[in-house]
Amino acid sequence: MAQVDFVNVDKSYGSFRAVKDVSFTVGDGEFVALVGPSGCGKTTTLNLIAGLLDLTGGEIRVSGKVINDLDPKDRDIAMVFQNYALYPNKTVAQNLGFPLRMRKVAKAEIKDKVEEAARLLDITHLLDRYPRELSGGQQQRVALGRALVRDPQVFLMDEPLSNLDAKLRVQMRAELKRFHQDLNATVIYVTHDQLEAMTMADKMAVMSGGVLQQYDAPERVFEEPANLFVASFVGSPAMNLLPATRVERDGTVFATGEGWELTLSDRNGAAARRSETDAIILGARHSSLALHETETSGAIPARIYTVEPTGDLTYAHVEVGDKTFVISVPPDRRIAADQPVWIGFDQNKLHLFDAKTEQRIAQD
Amino acid sequence: MSKTHRSEPSTRGFFGRIADHRLDYLYILPALGVMMLVIAYPIYYTVYLSFFRTPPSLAMQDKIFNGIDNYITILTAESFHEVTINTMVWTFWSTFMAMILGLGAALVLNREFVGRGVLRGLLLIPYVISAVAASYIWRWIYHSDFGVLGAILLQLGLIDDKLNLLDNVDLVLPSLIVVNVWKEFPFAMIMILAGLQTVPDQLLNAARVDGAGAFERFRHVTLPHLKGVLVITVLLLFVANLNHFTIPWIMTGGGPAGASDIWITQIYQIAFGRIRFGIASAYSVILFGVMVVIGYFYVKALTGDDDRRHG
Repeated sequence: MAQVDFVNVDKSYGSFRAVKDVSFTVGDGEFVALVGPSGCGKTTTLNLIAGLLDLTGGEIRVSGKVINDLDPKDRDIAMVFQNYALYPNKTVAQNLGFPLRMRKVAKAEIKDKVEEAARLLDITHLLDRYPRELSGGQQQRVALGRALVRDPQVFLMDEPLSNLDAKLRVQMRAELKRFHQDLNATVIYVTHDQLEAMTMADKMAVMSGGVLQQYDAPERVFEEPANLFVASFVGSPAMNLLPATRVERDGTVFATGEGWELTLSDRNGAAARRSETDAIILGARHSSLALHETETSGAIPARIYTVEPTGDLTYAHVEVGDKTFVISVPPDRRIAADQPVWIGFDQNKLHLFDAKTEQRIAQD
Repeated sequence: MSKTHRSEPSTRGFFGRIADHRLDYLYILPALGVMMLVIAYPIYYTVYLSFFRTPPSLAMQDKIFNGIDNYITILTAESFHEVTINTMVWTFWSTFMAMILGLGAALVLNREFVGRGVLRGLLLIPYVISAVAASYIWRWIYHSDFGVLGAILLQLGLIDDKLNLLDNVDLVLPSLIVVNVWKEFPFAMIMILAGLQTVPDQLLNAARVDGAGAFERFRHVTLPHLKGVLVITVLLLFVANLNHFTIPWIMTGGGPAGASDIWITQIYQIAFGRIRFGIASAYSVILFGVMVVIGYFYVKALTGDDDRRHG
């Protein structure tokens, strides 16, 4: 297994820069998720590691060795594709053995390794079948087996679960995580699903517009999003964001908006002062907000827009000025649309962003 | 609307099912009517005529029933053996060479390079030229006194004497095959190119990561994917070549001394040269039989994929 270094990686198509100056390091045996919306450059980044695309600038190193100019077959990297990309005219056994066959491995050895991989993934009974005779989950395992059989330095996975139905996806997610733990493999995993990234990865690389926005452990990305993009992308429902104006009176800092004013705690006030301009954005997760049905000091007035029960939790959509907040409340809470409410903030869980730079303002 | 639901397999009998779909039959009735008139009736009449001795005066009421005599005459004639070999050589080599050239051209055009569109257009020209015009052009190119081909080869010193292609019993058929291949390889090219464009990129990428080189990717991914297209193109070309009349008829008329005679030119010659419709009909029936067999495999290849997908 190996460490992978991205150093100022750039990829352009003509004048369009798909990946912009991306640098990060995937440690030996780490599971890293590249996550972001469609077109953010995550799959391009993966293809750059695989050698399916050529870099425009920078370098990629695997175990310290620059692989920029190596052919895919010489990179000792295995890849699992979104549609599994199994060879339809070959049996499962032939699919599994194909990478070894291309490397001129002896037939007897191929047979042993294929059987071993099949045992590991519990697909021994499928070895003589053709891909079209398999279910999505089984095809997924074969695709994984084909990557596994070579014992590569790095595993690349391009949205491997996105073609599975919801139930199977949850099951395969757990299996993949377990697979990573057992093999202690270096895995780079592309997904647009932030929940997948949160649940599986040791580290998340959040990308947008070809730029690496934040690279950190999932809980850190969740708790301290680096900027507005990460704040709104990670977490479901998305973080509630409220533009406000910083106002200072008698040494106290307030955040104000149309028809409301919030006194900031000392810590948040100090942070707000560091904003370049007095335009700031308050961020709060659905679970850190309280919903009051009577006027409460420190809470801002709002109105219920609609109520969404999900079973465990009920999500109240609440209108604050022209913004809509999503706040979770216990399912037995009786609230109705158009009811006036007051939103209370937990100042310890409040996020502050500079509206001009869109960056997080650290609260220390 | 009929009462039974369309997608449910009817539990009613054969006629019940027909009744369920009576509207569908109605829709295809006009097309079926035209087909009966222009195809089914001529087929019937040709088979019917093949059992008669017909007078050269074309007074069909004077025809005489002679059973399978026409077939015996054809099958025992010395020329039939020769013409059949010519037909097989013509059909096989035309199809084979058109496929090879078409595959090569398609593989080139499937790559991205400057001028691809122009090249694709140029390569399509032979296919869209009228066969009659092309035949006349090639007859001049091959001409032993004024032909440009002979002149070039002579200038280059590759031949010492006048080039004689169309009047040479050994070279005439290969020369015609060259023209035919030139004319129809773009068809194979377009079919294969269309097939190539459906090869999933992800599969080719997977093969690259798995360590396959360009040739191995072609062998393990592209070729298996093209199998269906290749089979169908071969069958279509085979049928077209077996029936191909224009090039041999215009360029040589089957000559010299029958060296480029194939079934279809022979049939034409018997029917409209010698005015022997009975024998020509019997000959046509034999050709028709061969075509039916090929047609069977064609339809099977065409629908085979569907059956497998649904199976």
